[in-house]
Amino acid sequence: MITVKDLSFSYGTKGVLKNISLTLEGGNIYGLLGENGVGKTTLLTLLCGLKAPQTGTIDTDGRNPFDREPSLLAEQFYLPDEVAPVHNRASQFGLETGKLWPKYDHTKFLCVLRDFEVDENQRMDTMSAGQLKKTWISFALACNARHYFMDEPTNGLDIPSKAQFRKAITKYTAEDSAVVISTHQVRDLENIIDPIIILDKEDVLLNASLETISQKLFFDYGTEIHPEALYLERTPGGAIQVYPNTIGEDSKVNLEALFNAVHTHKDVVKALFA
Amino acid sequence: MNNQFFSPQRFWSYFKYDLIQLWRNHMKAAVGIGLAGLIAYIVTVTFNLIFDGTWTGPGVTARFSIFFIAFTVLELYQTRTYGYLTDKKQGSAWLMMPASTFEKWLSMILITIIILPAIFLVVSLLVDGFLSLVDPTVGSSMLASLDHGLQELGGGLVEINNEYSTTWSMGAFIPLLYVSLCVNFLFFLLCGLIFKKNKIVWAFVIIFVISTVLSILSISFDLNVDVADDFATAEQQIRHFLCSSTAILALVAAGLAGGIFYRLKTLKH
Repeated sequence: MITVKDLSFSYGTKGVLKNISLTLEGGNIYGLLGENGVGKTTLLTLLCGLKAPQTGTIDTDGRNPFDREPSLLAEQFYLPDEVAPVHNRASQFGLETGKLWPKYDHTKFLCVLRDFEVDENQRMDTMSAGQLKKTWISFALACNARHYFMDEPTNGLDIPSKAQFRKAITKYTAEDSAVVISTHQVRDLENIIDPIIILDKEDVLLNASLETISQKLFFDYGTEIHPEALYLERTPGGAIQVYPNTIGEDSKVNLEALFNAVHTHKDVVKALFA
Repeated sequence: MNNQFFSPQRFWSYFKYDLIQLWRNHMKAAVGIGLAGLIAYIVTVTFNLIFDGTWTGPGVTARFSIFFIAFTVLELYQTRTYGYLTDKKQGSAWLMMPASTFEKWLSMILITIIILPAIFLVVSLLVDGFLSLVDPTVGSSMLASLDHGLQELGGGLVEINNEYSTTWSMGAFIPLLYVSLCVNFLFFLLCGLIFKKNKIVWAFVIIFVISTVLSILSISFDLNVDVADDFATAEQQIRHFLCSSTAILALVAAGLAGGIFYRLKTLKH
């Protein structure tokens, strides 16, 4: 379990995260959403230990990530938005680098690579950005980590690869893994991320499971307009509206509509989920 | 010892990985720099053939000069061997590798002050030995001339009434030379880890500042040196100087190695 308590971080005088507290539990694929510059990448790099908190604490299974203890590093994987090119063939890269992760499974690496239709014998420094990303995703999953921190993993992937990514994440991560995915491409990941964390400037606007969200908010895809809606978006067949779920009915959560509703009515939503 | 700090098995695993990366990314450069003697030989022979009409290779003095220039290039190259760690993409991947900072640091130090210089020396001396074997115009090899050169240089240091010591050799300077090599290599490595851009330029700026400060300090103190009147005392004085200089430089090297460890421990991306 990862516990973040009163975490603050700033770049010089520019505050990014302020008194953030949240808990991330195993067995979930967290979707970390937020506008540009609210600190999603900063939060991910703090969670994996690439940065040190300026105030507050992060506790990952009783350890401080910034201590970068090998036993914790072996149990986590950080996948940045832009991955490093490597002067090596994909298969050889897996064999050489995977030895550092005690649970690395080379067969799994080759299997995910094939699922992504990446040539295991191609040199990684000759790959396109999408192929390189897919190779690193395959490697990450083959490391059999318990905590994954992925920053915009579907950026640069073609449409079939996005579907393949969704399959790979659900198929190749352990049941007790905590996966945190930061993304703007909510439609790419709509069916796999749950719970949802929405970050705002120096605040967490929402941290709730899809079940809780659908209990508190109703997503109406009908044609009748509700003036009390927190968010309204007209579509060719009608509209998507989000309003407080006073009727107690289930509805399918639309992440884009949720994000916009939360952003336009921050205080209302925070009070609703408090 | 805390397993999170050092584990022999994990260190060996990481060290092998680091060696493979060295081989893959920097071996061509290290070998290329070591081949400077061969390149100088080809250029000299070609120019002599064109302008002089004779097949004459570079003599041992010229080859020693090339060797030291190449060695300086290898020193500067230390800013590159691990310089990628300041790059966000590559540095992040490196920091997240499951090995302790101490293990990564130890591997880095071993490669910098033992393995890379050893590769350079072996390649340079093998090339030089081969050239002196196949081409009599280049004279003796650097290795064969080294003992004579060290004896001459060392003897020249101990001079009493226009007579030179015949028992003193520069061979005694080798520990001091090696510690100096470590200081230089570690200094450029540290600069490579601190500065994100223009690593070599910044390294030279620091060297310039340090030399200026040391020059000002040295003229501020009146250094009295006792002059010996027999070889035994003079040699003892030099031995004492060598020991203290080696110890001071070893402390500087340890300080630089400590600085590198601190930099790795606090590196953020």
